[in-house]
Amino acid sequence: MNAILHAQQLTKHYPGSIALDHVDFTANAGQSIAIIGPSGSGKTTLLHCLAGILRPDAGAITLNTPSSPLRLDTLGDAALSRLRREEFGFVFQQGMLLPELTALENVALALMLNGTDRNTSETRAAEWLAALGLAGMEQRRLGELSGGQVQRVAIARAQVTGARVVFADEPTGALDSATSNEVLDVLLHSVAANGRTLLVVTHDPNVAARCERVVELRDGRIVADSGRSVAAPNLPAQAGESAPDTPAAPGTQAAANFKGAFNV
Amino acid sequence: MSSLSMALRLTPYLARSNGSSFREAGLRDAGLPILAFGTVTALLLTVAGGSQVFWSWSDDIAGTYQALAVVAMVLLIIPLLTLGASAARLAARRRDDRLASLRLLGANSATVVWMTVIESTVLAAVGAVAGAGLYACVAPFLGLIQFRGQAIGSHAWLSVPSILGCVLAVCVLAAASAALGLRKVVVTPLGVRTRQTADGAHWVRGLIAAVVVVVGVVAMGMLSSFGAFIVIIAVMGGCFGLALLALNLMGPWILRLRASSQLKHAKRPEQLLAARTVLESPKESWRQVGGVAMTSFVGVFVGVGMAVADTMGTSGDAEATLLVRDINTGVMITLLGSFLMVACSAGVNQAAAVLDRASTLVALDRVGMPQKLMVAARVKAVMSPLFLVAGISAAAAAVLVLPLTGTVLLTQPVVFLTIGGVFAAGFLLVRLAVAAGTAQISQVLARPERYASMDS
Repeated sequence: MNAILHAQQLTKHYPGSIALDHVDFTANAGQSIAIIGPSGSGKTTLLHCLAGILRPDAGAITLNTPSSPLRLDTLGDAALSRLRREEFGFVFQQGMLLPELTALENVALALMLNGTDRNTSETRAAEWLAALGLAGMEQRRLGELSGGQVQRVAIARAQVTGARVVFADEPTGALDSATSNEVLDVLLHSVAANGRTLLVVTHDPNVAARCERVVELRDGRIVADSGRSVAAPNLPAQAGESAPDTPAAPGTQAAANFKGAFNV
Repeated sequence: MSSLSMALRLTPYLARSNGSSFREAGLRDAGLPILAFGTVTALLLTVAGGSQVFWSWSDDIAGTYQALAVVAMVLLIIPLLTLGASAARLAARRRDDRLASLRLLGANSATVVWMTVIESTVLAAVGAVAGAGLYACVAPFLGLIQFRGQAIGSHAWLSVPSILGCVLAVCVLAAASAALGLRKVVVTPLGVRTRQTADGAHWVRGLIAAVVVVVGVVAMGMLSSFGAFIVIIAVMGGCFGLALLALNLMGPWILRLRASSQLKHAKRPEQLLAARTVLESPKESWRQVGGVAMTSFVGVFVGVGMAVADTMGTSGDAEATLLVRDINTGVMITLLGSFLMVACSAGVNQAAAVLDRASTLVALDRVGMPQKLMVAARVKAVMSPLFLVAGISAAAAAVLVLPLTGTVLLTQPVVFLTIGGVFAAGFLLVRLAVAAGTAQISQVLARPERYASMDS
């Protein structure tokens, strides 16, 4: 399995504490990985470093792109911002979408930021929303959607650009258990069906149990790594090559699974 | 224990326990409302001081000056009240999270309302005293302005009781706005959320405004039949008020129409975001820029009229020449004052909006939205309505005095250059204030850990 994201000897300090202590970590393409650990263990810091949100004090982070490997720790702010826009997708605990925009506009905005014209952006956004069970809700504002529906919008936004890695920080943390399971289904299946890599920070053992691999941090170090890698799903495109920007390629097994799971 | 007495006991306690975060958060919690109230008070005192000059005269022409001063004050008082209300809402919004915690601890709604009112009033009092100090610094410069051929000097100084009265008025405004502002939020033990009431701007507003205009036109048409001078003045004043009312009714509706069109045609992200920001609350957008509407109208209307009067009929009359010049001075000062208040209001509102949505901005930065795009969207959301409002008002005035406009353009082009210069300076002032407000975005993104939950 190809490594898509590789961190070597990552170190990050905060005043009076060490958040990451010489961490080595590799994420393989198409894998879903749960990062768990107690509060203050460094899991969110690891996620933020891998996503180019935080700069490590020491160590190297490499993203394997189709053209050449890219060292995140050497990029400037503007380049990192562009990388996050184009290569990565994010799902936060509270959705963190724009309340004045409709569901459709929130998803389309991610594409518009990359220079895609508005019509194309909205068409693709509508496809994603429909695939995630939000058909007919495109014009609703976020205040008119339930917590679970808002998270689905966030999941659509994270993937509509064709991001190759999706980072999720406690994506079900603000939801009840039934909705939490539902959102997790949507997240895991949509990411897998489109051949993306998922890194999810969670406190919830149920979330971790459903990921292919579980990495446990404690005091800034990786203390356990299940390393269990199941076979990669049938990908609509070879991970690490051209990333898809539609919910799933029709006709593939993954697409069938995906549609079966989400056409509610 | 009554809600008020509980609020009176809890407020100082929480203010004390909040001491460290008070210092740490500084601008976020108290600094901005205090700054806003200070600006409001300084401007209120400046306007009152400037107007007081005209009441110190008692000769034949004093009545004309006093009537014009009343018009100028009416024009300035609306944006001033808007700015005051913005400052009060800002003060009330700072307390959202703590209010929810209090509900969780068992405080009832009335206690929460009283606490908000008390805290807002205290912030207003501190700001108002600082504003009075600022006025004391500005007053000597105000005295340099010339009316009737000489500097107004110490006549612009207000008496201590007048200053105290203005400070008290600002505190009352803050208390009332805080209580009214809470109507828009629901404070429950689980948090504070905005009521899901659509802040639309219905076309009925346009209809009512049209009716108001018709009533005004009919009243003006019957002016000569009213006979007594005092009645005519009262009717004219009433019609002026009706025009302002019509404008305030139509304003949000026009901004909504314009933003809907911009939303439809938006191609770039910042255009989409700016249009949605205006549509989210057209009334809020109008409150920010509406003050410029009537002053723009009056600025062009009176500017052109006075230029014509200057050219045609006052060459031999020194007093009339002075009056025309003074009216021009007054119009330009009113226009600039109006822009200054809009600028303050826009700056305060933008800073508050950025702080209110800091966690969302941090999240947007994380998903790769460039900071300059966030700023561009906010700037456009203020400047676009401002250009529209000022442009429509100035154009309406120019069309009304069209026959004169051509004459003035030929004989006194400097009048248009002056009016244009004042508009340009006003726009620049608002733009700078918005830049100051949106500068908060850099500060938020520089310390994201304050605004986003980070589990290290």
